[in-house]
Amino acid sequence: MPLVSALAASHAPNILLEPGAEWEDFMNLHYSMAPQGSATRPTLEQQKKLRKDAEDAFAVLRADMEQAKPDVLIVVANDQFVNFFWNNIPTFFVTIADEVKGQFTRHKFHYRNHKELGRAIVRAGMDKGIDLSFGEHIELQHTQNVPLYFLLPEPKIPILPFFVNTWVEPAPTPKRCYQVGELIREVATNSPERVAILATGGLSHFPGSPRIGEIDTQFDHKLLEVMRQGKGPSLADYSVEELLKAGDSEFLNWMVVVGTVGDARASYTSYMPDFVATGWGFVSWKLS
Amino acid sequence: MSCYHLSRLLFDLKMDESCVKRALADFESVMKEYDLTEEEKAALRAGDPRKLRQLGVHGMLCLYIKRLQPEFRDNIYWQQK
Repeated sequence: MPLVSALAASHAPNILLEPGAEWEDFMNLHYSMAPQGSATRPTLEQQKKLRKDAEDAFAVLRADMEQAKPDVLIVVANDQFVNFFWNNIPTFFVTIADEVKGQFTRHKFHYRNHKELGRAIVRAGMDKGIDLSFGEHIELQHTQNVPLYFLLPEPKIPILPFFVNTWVEPAPTPKRCYQVGELIREVATNSPERVAILATGGLSHFPGSPRIGEIDTQFDHKLLEVMRQGKGPSLADYSVEELLKAGDSEFLNWMVVVGTVGDARASYTSYMPDFVATGWGFVSWKLS
Repeated sequence: MSCYHLSRLLFDLKMDESCVKRALADFESVMKEYDLTEEEKAALRAGDPRKLRQLGVHGMLCLYIKRLQPEFRDNIYWQQK
């Protein structure tokens, strides 16, 4: 059955942290890497507005996904030194577990994992020359938990965490990520189940870098415009270096989803720079 | 030159609560468990994530030295990964 819903959303931790003391904790820690970033520190009112705007965007995405009645949600995200360390950094990793769990402050997450779909993707990849890593245990982290809190707060359907290396060099090319998306689309099409997919991360930010606080809003708006126009395949022409320069390394997660939708036009986009570190972006493609 | 062992210590400060507890009690002993240069030990003692980054540690790991500093000990950031 063709893919029924495709989404993309930022996973910045401060989206789910409470405005006020929790945001201040977050900012104080990150500005220790980049003191100059503090110059744009948002006020409490700005923090509350950002949270509200993010909730509104997530509400649109959640409604679109629920309308598509998916049986499973593939979550394409990057690790950030939780499941993977320098002894082994998989470029792509598929979760073949029975269940997956994680925690974000007081919020706990526990989902069934659709390992059969995971195995089907790994198998199809092997057959087509795209060799994906896989394993039976992962811990969910903010890169999955933040969007899942808003999009799938009750574990009504299983998920399938799919990891892309966006956070350490060398990272895969946008073209390769697009090809992986095409592979997933083919597996979904051959599946009797209704498959939805979510990419997380981005948009522009420089995590763990002296450039924290810089947000390339111009580049982000360009990416969103291309997706609105249904010209997603052209994004595969970007080099990794161009994405890194704009702070959009996590757009590689999005490129997988762009590969699943091809030239479909994004039906909804929303964007808000958070004045802390990240350009928050939200996209939905209505496919069914 | 690789800073694998230095990065590993910081990774353990992120992922291993028992390591954090031991480090809070006696950081010198914990550092001895890792194959660190004197320069790396000095950077860890200084507690400045920017110095750790200059030694080659990924920025996402550098922040975890802050877990050992009193003003950051209860930071909400440690309650998520």
